[in-house]
Amino acid sequence: MKDDDLEDFRQQCERNLQRSVADRMRYGFCYVYKPVLDDAPWRSFDSTAAYRKWCRENLPEYLGYGEPDALQKEILNAA
Amino acid sequence: MPRDQFSPAQAQEVAAAFAAHQVDYMFIGKSGAILLGYPGTTQDVDVYPRKDPENGARIIGALKDLSFKLDPTLEDEIVQGKDFVQIKSGPFDIDLVFAPDGIDSYAEAKSRMDTSSGFPVLNIQDIIASKRSAGRPRDAVELPLLEAFQEVYEKRKIR
Repeated sequence: MKDDDLEDFRQQCERNLQRSVADRMRYGFCYVYKPVLDDAPWRSFDSTAAYRKWCRENLPEYLGYGEPDALQKEILNAA
Repeated sequence: MPRDQFSPAQAQEVAAAFAAHQVDYMFIGKSGAILLGYPGTTQDVDVYPRKDPENGARIIGALKDLSFKLDPTLEDEIVQGKDFVQIKSGPFDIDLVFAPDGIDSYAEAKSRMDTSSGFPVLNIQDIIASKRSAGRPRDAVELPLLEAFQEVYEKRKIR
């Protein structure tokens, strides 16, 4: 992501921080149906790793729960 | 299946019910960041409850007050404190994450908790560490934005 994009985003953060918590919830929580993930009333896992594995193996790739690619790994590993 | 109804005030509803039942917990993940002022969106509420049977029983009481339908097996899983419990049988989706990625100790995380929004929320630094540790493509997309938010958020707190 380019720095100038992040500058725009920082300004967006400033504006959002001026909103009330009620408004942050109103604009922040919205429903989008996710296939497979939303199709069971509940599920539980012995470990968070087991949940991640289930997501990788069962959810459509476009939902973003799969294996990261090389660029994504670079971002994730940049501390 | 897709939902017929959805309320964006879900965090407030969770907080009220959990407070009434004295549940020991924090909001985490993107829902926690949104409460702090992060300009993102999500559909579910992620909470990090303290893992013990008594707290689990309190969670069950709170979820029932919120009209979640819980079968006996699910209740057992919550009381046992299974590391990850995802529930979609209520008015909104809630993830009970008893062992979030990248967070070693509930007590330590709680000592750094952020209550500035009026809600108990995991510290933004811990939210970012947890996202980084989860290591999913969706986290790689969110991390630069969360870090930019942290920068703005922390500067604003100093002012």
